[in-house]
Amino acid sequence: MKRKKILLVDDSNTILMMEKFILKNGPYDLVTASNGEEAVSKASEHIPDLILLDVIMPKMGGFDACRLIRNNEATSNIPIIMVTTRGEAANVEIGWANGCTDYVTKPINTIELLAKVRSYLGTTEEVAS
Amino acid sequence: MSAEEKGRSYIDVVRDELRQYTHSLLRENEKLRAMSTALESDKRRLELEIIEARDVLEQREELRSAVASFNSARSELLNELASAKRERDGATQELDRLRAKFDDVAQENEKYVTQYHQIEHHSSNLSNLYVASYQLHSSVDRRTILETIQEIVVNLIGSEEVAILEADSETGDFRMVASFGVDAARLNRANSGHAQIVKRIAAGELFIDDVAGYEEDALTALVPLKIEERVIGAIVVFRLLEHKQGLQPVDHELFELLAVHASTALHCANLHEASALAVVS
Repeated sequence: MKRKKILLVDDSNTILMMEKFILKNGPYDLVTASNGEEAVSKASEHIPDLILLDVIMPKMGGFDACRLIRNNEATSNIPIIMVTTRGEAANVEIGWANGCTDYVTKPINTIELLAKVRSYLGTTEEVAS
Repeated sequence: MSAEEKGRSYIDVVRDELRQYTHSLLRENEKLRAMSTALESDKRRLELEIIEARDVLEQREELRSAVASFNSARSELLNELASAKRERDGATQELDRLRAKFDDVAQENEKYVTQYHQIEHHSSNLSNLYVASYQLHSSVDRRTILETIQEIVVNLIGSEEVAILEADSETGDFRMVASFGVDAARLNRANSGHAQIVKRIAAGELFIDDVAGYEEDALTALVPLKIEERVIGAIVVFRLLEHKQGLQPVDHELFELLAVHASTALHCANLHEASALAVVS
């Protein structure tokens, strides 16, 4: 059984806890980071299968972190889902321009998040097999 | 006429008669020969006709046999057709039964999907409430508690315009102690104004406007923070995020949870801070 690794990045403990709550029962190993710098570092260290990345964070924001992760050969192909409170087109466009793969809006909808995670990592059964 | 002459004459007569008879026989013979030839010819013709007739008879027999075979085959085909029709009718019935079963399964599946979504939704709501409660009671640091309250409003309810008011311990006046996306000026001109908000806080009743809309001064919720019956503060929530499709039942539950748990968490943090200051002094 091959478990998938997900890097959760958010400066809010509330959001990190929510994401852990939603994903902990799946076949996923969860790694967390609380700002953009830490996200870039942990992405290189762990090479996760997926990254959930907050946009507004101290030290380094999500868009900059996304760009740096894309520029690193080892992490350039990792799908990145931006987690944002602002789902406006302009904001989403900035995300695409910086190399994000998809986005979800806060407050996080459990069903939507699980569906997106599964669409990039496969269903529970697929991951298990 | 002498007897000799008579005899000669007689002989001549007989000879003539014999000659005539012979001629007659020869003619008869010729006739018979011709007849024989004609009969031979007829015989050959008849034989040919017989052969032809035999061929016709044989062909007729063959045709009869072919017709019989055809009839037999036709009969078999008709039987097979009847059998196929019966099978088709059976298959049609089976198909109808399977279709009905498929519809039942589809309906059941639809029901399970709905139930699954309801359970996921319910689970998500419980997660929200658990996380909010857990975070509120995970620290006794006042600043952390105030940040947590804002995080809950921003990330779990979905508003980036929130202010936390607290009653001054000496004057009893409510003042803004933390905010996200709201400043004092905004608070003053909001909805019915600061005075109106203070009046509502003093009443100690949870106020939620489900149809607050997205105007700048729209007041979505006012959550009084009470310790027993004493109002120690309030959480004021203005506009929801644009993509948030109104308040959900879980948001009401979160406001109710905040009313109880945020007040106790903040009160504990204040007591902790006061005791820490007392120890230091």
